[in-house]
Amino acid sequence: MSDLKQIPIHAEGDAGGDPKSEGLFTRVFDELKAFCRSRSLFMLHYCTGCGAIELPPAMTSRFDMERLGIQPMVTPRQADILLVTGYVSIKTLKRIILTYEQMGGPKYVIGICSCTVNGGMYWQSYATAKVLNEYLPVDLYIAGCMPRPEAVITGMRQLMENIRTGKADNWKDYYRRYDHYLGNQQQLFGERWQTPTDVIGEADHYGLAGPETTGPHTALLQQHQVPLQPLEMRLGSRQERKP
Amino acid sequence: MSRQSLAPQLEFLLQEIEGIRIRRKGPRRVRVDLAAETLPALLELLKGRAGYVHLSAITCVDWMEQEEFELVYHLWSYETRVLVMAHIRLPRDPGVYLSVYDLFKPAAFFERDIHEMFGLYFEGSPDMGKFILTEWEGPPPMRKDFDGEAWVMDHFNWQAYHPDWLKEIEAQGGGITTRPEDVRR
Ligand code: SF4
Repeated sequence: MSDLKQIPIHAEGDAGGDPKSEGLFTRVFDELKAFCRSRSLFMLHYCTGCGAIELPPAMTSRFDMERLGIQPMVTPRQADILLVTGYVSIKTLKRIILTYEQMGGPKYVIGICSCTVNGGMYWQSYATAKVLNEYLPVDLYIAGCMPRPEAVITGMRQLMENIRTGKADNWKDYYRRYDHYLGNQQQLFGERWQTPTDVIGEADHYGLAGPETTGPHTALLQQHQVPLQPLEMRLGSRQERKP
Repeated sequence: MSRQSLAPQLEFLLQEIEGIRIRRKGPRRVRVDLAAETLPALLELLKGRAGYVHLSAITCVDWMEQEEFELVYHLWSYETRVLVMAHIRLPRDPGVYLSVYDLFKPAAFFERDIHEMFGLYFEGSPDMGKFILTEWEGPPPMRKDFDGEAWVMDHFNWQAYHPDWLKEIEAQGGGITTRPEDVRR
């Protein structure tokens, strides 16, 4: 990603016939770019809940997602789509947010399963986060408990369509209204919550920092933020480690 | 020793403990109720003299009305192939019991788990630290007096999820139209 600066920053109507686009060539080029982007999606291979069981059949021979240009990818930095496949425990949610923040924009979040919409059958569970898009901007929900591979494929095709027409730009919302998302995260994880990512810096970089990027919650974050330190690792016998 | 001769021997052994109640729940299941003080003696006896080397689980039940915890020790013998379930009752407050870690090593995990989920403390257990709920600050969630639903109502929001296809289904009388608090009245 040496050319981060070349990721288009003109925020609204990236493609899709924005009348303000400067001239025909730019528009054609933007459309081509959006089309290519929608046809080469890497999804992060990080399965969070039981809904992930529907992904192997969606990926393998019967439904074969790869023919749509969708492939699993192992690291967040190479991925475009973050699939949140099912219930999200609060513990997992922290990891999901860390992962999401590491992905480079443009990035898309798909919430698979009823559990991501409203907690599903884990509504009464103290450990399950309910409404996913309070903590992350979700582009698309695929409801069902669990959704069939057909539904997953349909959802993917819908996302591709949204990307092609420039409608899938919720990731910008994370930068624009970071304070809102951070506030919800802090409500759940406590006010000392922090991630290693400098989201505000990234928002500036993308040119997306707005009035709601910073606010009371980010101020709170700055108060508590401690520099990250490597985890201590010690080798020794079991006996030594006992207090 | 044949398998047939071991099972009667087991019952004979169990008679050695005072105040014990034995019920056969099936050909291979024996339920034993006894006082909490005598449980370590029973386990020692079973392990030392009847080949019960496998503590497969410790279960905890919260009897809130009686202000008691029930602990069930599930023991399995590979020789007699009879499952022994030893039930004891403890006062819920202060909720302290002895660890059986010195007899059965796996007890460390079961006890740690019960400590975390029910708040029952085991004296002599090697580690009573956080186990699964490493990021949980609330009360022990498996206790009956922990109101999970109230906690959820307190901490989480409900989102109106009305995609167009759902509206069509609802127009025909289907779909999700009730919120959980309405259902639970
Ligand atoms: S909606 Fe159903 S299948 Fe999906 S994560 Fe929840 S319980 Fe599992």
